[in-house]
Amino acid sequence: MSRYIKFIFISIIFIVLQTTVANIISIRGITPDFLLIWIVLIAIRYGQIESTLFGFTIGLLYDLATGGVIGLSSLSKSVSGFMAGYFFNENKTEITLSTYRFSLIVLLTSLIHNLFYYLIYLQGSEINTFRSIVVIGGITALYTTTFSLLLVFIFMRKYSFLR
Amino acid sequence: MQRILTLLIEFKEYFILTLLVLLSMILLTLNDNPQLKAIRSYTVATIGIIQNTLALVPNIFELQRENEVLRKLNVTLLDEVSRLREAKLENARLRELLGLKEKIKYQFVSSDVIGKTLHLQRNTITLNVGRNNGVNLHMPVVSDQGAVGRVIAVSSNYSIVQLLLNKDFRTSVKIQRSRVDGILGWDGSDRLMIKNVSKKQDVKVGDTAITSEYSKIFPPDIKVGVVISVDENPITLFKDILIEPSVDFTRLEQVFVITSTVDTQRVNLESKFMERKK
Repeated sequence: MSRYIKFIFISIIFIVLQTTVANIISIRGITPDFLLIWIVLIAIRYGQIESTLFGFTIGLLYDLATGGVIGLSSLSKSVSGFMAGYFFNENKTEITLSTYRFSLIVLLTSLIHNLFYYLIYLQGSEINTFRSIVVIGGITALYTTTFSLLLVFIFMRKYSFLR
Repeated sequence: MQRILTLLIEFKEYFILTLLVLLSMILLTLNDNPQLKAIRSYTVATIGIIQNTLALVPNIFELQRENEVLRKLNVTLLDEVSRLREAKLENARLRELLGLKEKIKYQFVSSDVIGKTLHLQRNTITLNVGRNNGVNLHMPVVSDQGAVGRVIAVSSNYSIVQLLLNKDFRTSVKIQRSRVDGILGWDGSDRLMIKNVSKKQDVKVGDTAITSEYSKIFPPDIKVGVVISVDENPITLFKDILIEPSVDFTRLEQVFVITSTVDTQRVNLESKFMERKK
């Protein structure tokens, strides 16, 4: 139980970072998705059920805190948590986190997340959905992946004894 | 029953995902629910406190740039102020002659931007003013550069503003020079577009777009942006007008909420009329 309270607390910190720090490092309005990296980390460490449930909770909190459409992020982040959960392997957690495999999982999850997000978000609007998914969704996924490399380097040092 | 339970346990991951997706879809349909709005208000208040604390840390690079811009602006404004003083005096004299009323002065509440969500085209900002400062839902927000957006969620001390660059934002605008009216929307990039302007209307590149009297959100004559392209689409009757917003939304730091513009009498009359029409 204490683990889940800790997760919620960390998630709130990530939401605040997403709405403050992320904008300082934005490139033409494109920002990395810290929340998604956090969800993938939960998936790799604790498994599919935890990442799906936390994907939903984090998404819902984010929707509520940022004035977005309520239910949109919870849906796309539940799905991405579920997808990331497929890469959970209890015996290979350290290896996954300390290699580029982690960043590849972030990239794949981010692309799926952005696809679901835009397909729902742009319903009924005149904005070009294809452009949003491919250009903004794609660049956001790449930017998020670049940031996930920082975590990979940290885990590389932490689990260097495995090599 | 036993078989169903065994199946549920065996495929619990899928079961949980289906349940959460269904729950999200229900939430998507309940966005205007008052209970949900109340929960949002509490969340905005909680996250706002943390954002406000973080906002105390100054962004040195931004301050340096802002200082430079302000110095240049100061020189330009000093010159403009003297010319405007003259114009105001002349205007007052002419108004007196015509017997016109002085335009209503709007009340503002100034606020710092303590959070920005530009992620995946959400485009909202969080302000450190709320109900306690007289801010309410749907109030217009402006900056020294022009129109910014409108308040879409409010708690006692914080509020969330939907920017002009948002897929759900629409407002009436007009071209300052030719007084041509249109509907302002977002094209999905960092530009705005004006729709419903007939090909016969006079709109040119370089024209300034301002808010119109028809707008339910903004008071009239607030700068929105400058026309950067006018295309005549052969398959429609209307022009495609692209606008460069006058506000740099990525660098917004201080804004003003106009607290005295929502004309409830007009809104009520219009909504009653629309209901009767139905």
